[in-house]
Amino acid sequence: MAATAVSVKDLVKCFGDLRVLDNVSFDVEESSLTTIVGFSGCGKSTLLNVLAGIETTTSGIAEVSSSKNLSARLGYVFQSPRLLPWLTIEQNLVFVRPDAVDEATHLERVHKYLEMVGLKNVRHKFPYQLSGGMQQRAGIARALCIEPAVLLMDEPFSHLDEITAGGMREEMLRIWQETRRTILFVTHDMQEAVELGDRLIMLDYHGRIFVDIKIDLPRPRNLTDRVFIEFYSDVVRHLQAMQTIRAEELAALGVS
Amino acid sequence: MTATAINPSQIPSATRARRFAQAMKGFLISPRWLFVIIALVVWQTYAVFRNSRLIPTPVKVGATMWRILTSGIFFEQLAASMTRILIGFSLAMILGTIIGILMGSRKSYDQFFKAMVILGLALPGLIYALICVMFFGISILAPVTAILAGSYPFVVINVAEGVKSLDKDLIDMSRSYKIGRGKIVRQVILPSLLPFILAAIRNGFAIAWKICTLVEVFGAVSGVGYMIKNSFDQYAVYGIVAWALMFGGVMLLIEYGLLVPAERYLARWRPKVKQVI
Amino acid sequence: MSVAVNVSPNSTSLAASKRFAKSFKGIIFHKGWLAILMVLVIWQIISFFLGGRGLVPSPARTAATMWGVLASGEFFVQLGDSLVRLLIGFVLAMTLGMIVGVLMGSRWFWNEFFKDIVILGLSLPGLVYALLSVVIFGTKLLAPVMAILFASYPFIAVNIREGVKALDKDLLDMTQAYKIGKWKVVQQVIIPSLLPHILAAIRTGFTIAWKASVLTEVFGATSGIGYMIRFNFQMFAVRGILAWSLLFGGVMILIEYGILVPAERHFARWRPQILEEV
Repeated sequence: MAATAVSVKDLVKCFGDLRVLDNVSFDVEESSLTTIVGFSGCGKSTLLNVLAGIETTTSGIAEVSSSKNLSARLGYVFQSPRLLPWLTIEQNLVFVRPDAVDEATHLERVHKYLEMVGLKNVRHKFPYQLSGGMQQRAGIARALCIEPAVLLMDEPFSHLDEITAGGMREEMLRIWQETRRTILFVTHDMQEAVELGDRLIMLDYHGRIFVDIKIDLPRPRNLTDRVFIEFYSDVVRHLQAMQTIRAEELAALGVS
Repeated sequence: MTATAINPSQIPSATRARRFAQAMKGFLISPRWLFVIIALVVWQTYAVFRNSRLIPTPVKVGATMWRILTSGIFFEQLAASMTRILIGFSLAMILGTIIGILMGSRKSYDQFFKAMVILGLALPGLIYALICVMFFGISILAPVTAILAGSYPFVVINVAEGVKSLDKDLIDMSRSYKIGRGKIVRQVILPSLLPFILAAIRNGFAIAWKICTLVEVFGAVSGVGYMIKNSFDQYAVYGIVAWALMFGGVMLLIEYGLLVPAERYLARWRPKVKQVI
Repeated sequence: MSVAVNVSPNSTSLAASKRFAKSFKGIIFHKGWLAILMVLVIWQIISFFLGGRGLVPSPARTAATMWGVLASGEFFVQLGDSLVRLLIGFVLAMTLGMIVGVLMGSRWFWNEFFKDIVILGLSLPGLVYALLSVVIFGTKLLAPVMAILFASYPFIAVNIREGVKALDKDLLDMTQAYKIGKWKVVQQVIIPSLLPHILAAIRTGFTIAWKASVLTEVFGATSGIGYMIRFNFQMFAVRGILAWSLLFGGVMILIEYGILVPAERHFARWRPQILEEV
């Protein structure tokens, strides 16, 4: 049994009257890759923001812990790269140096991870001089270079074209296997979720956990394999069940 | 599906009244009045405390404004100034639009006029005012020429910008549908130019009335600027403040009551209107 | 720290000198000179026909006056006087404008609070401030300083307000997720994104400031460029007015296009496109 890296217990988050996360509880094992799926507005991004400390909790606990020699640091990869446009790629990575790490060590890590994502030779360019995919890679390198206990990823490939995104997914899995970081990966793309995750958590329209299943498929996964298609069909059936419930709820409320 | 799009014509009048009441409430209960009160109180206290002829109380300024307004002097002088502004500015619009179109459509014209326009933008209105007063004395040519020279560069840059931002693809599209030249000008070119022309009017007009005031200060026997100069010569600060506030008020009314709404209306098809304040 | 050096593609000295020669050629053969030449010719012709009255001095005589003013050193004496007033007033205006602009950009309350006075300030002509401060402060240094302060702070406030409103909340969230210290955020995120707006504020505010300062000197000063212009006005010397105002305008254009515009461009070099104004 591996140690727990993220633990969320009875988490509730409200914006005014709107409840976006309702009694969410789950634990994430160290070095695992968990995907979180749901419809837009169901609170997936809010969950990550609460974990990252950008949002406060209304009630409940959301914490990150670490058993290894790592401090409980978080790397966050956003939907848009969110690089500081006036800093070069390398300066952007230098910018996030944690106080506990000295400058030389950090710079070493910056170079290591820029190499890993294949941006070492464009590190002195400004973000606007790079393509969208390269900017997103820089965002990933920035998250990795602080050697985080947990990596949060919020639909990082949804702004990219499908071919670029496919390549990035492969690369992300390679980096994950190399570094064995714990990853929480939010997406609205069911296929992406099944392709990447060890485990899949589906949130419903009320911000509750609807499905929480292990994905026991062998890696590397082939989207045309029979086992993959069967598993994916299962997930889609869950999704349809959720939509049926939603339609019934709306009918009960008298909304046509 | 829920119907979320609300047609304005379907809003019941009660809702509309409530919305109006809310807007009024927003206007009345606003920190702006706090500023006005604080400013007036500080000014009044300071004026009373200093007790100097040079620092009039707001009450005295208010009384002066009332007197000027009710005696009809204000409208007389305003009319004199407005005549000069309108003649001068109309000429500036004509000249500025011609040069602006030239600069926007051909690079060589752009280079040709650029230095002059930059110099025109940089030189203070004072220079035009002084030189025109010396040339033309108190004739109407003085304010008209000064306004023309001082405000046309502002018209030029706006119109040139508008011409440069004309969408060539739309004109190509119209041509591909075999649409006549006149119709293209009326339905494609003019609508996309109009917001820029309105902006030109707004910017140019703001300069025009300031230059007119300056000319009237140095060489005129009527107009708001002349009245301000009169007060200055008598060391009557309350007069300067009263005339300046009232003239400025009228100009703000023209700008925010007429020109800004017109510009917003003409640019309503654009995704976002850049709002300065 | 590493320095970004590999940006310019052709950095050999030969290519650099070639590029310099090309841009130099661009300036020499720029069509703008043609326009200036035409203006000079027309001016010369008009002055030739009206020359007797002395109201329209020829460009040559105006240039001679300019040279005289420059060579005798008087221009620099008066320019110094004007610039001192200008700088004191402008620094105060920057301070006030930044405070008001930051308040207006960050809080709804302060925006509403200052909105009316800023709009009024934007629209009242510099003349009003000039006359009022001359009546109240006479020929003291305070007169131009106050006129400059009140004429130009609204323009600075408006620019700063835009900058504060344009701060990217996503970037600030990012710094929070990475637990970046407050001071570092101010230094590396907030100030760099405000910088282009601050520079724009300096540029517009400065233009307004020097015009207001000249006006104040016209009505109440015993030195400075504005005083010299008034002096020539009273002597009915058109060429004096032209010489002084062209020289002063030239210095201001030099400051604007030689220092302020390049600075603005330098600090905005990380942007994909630089907005080019006329």
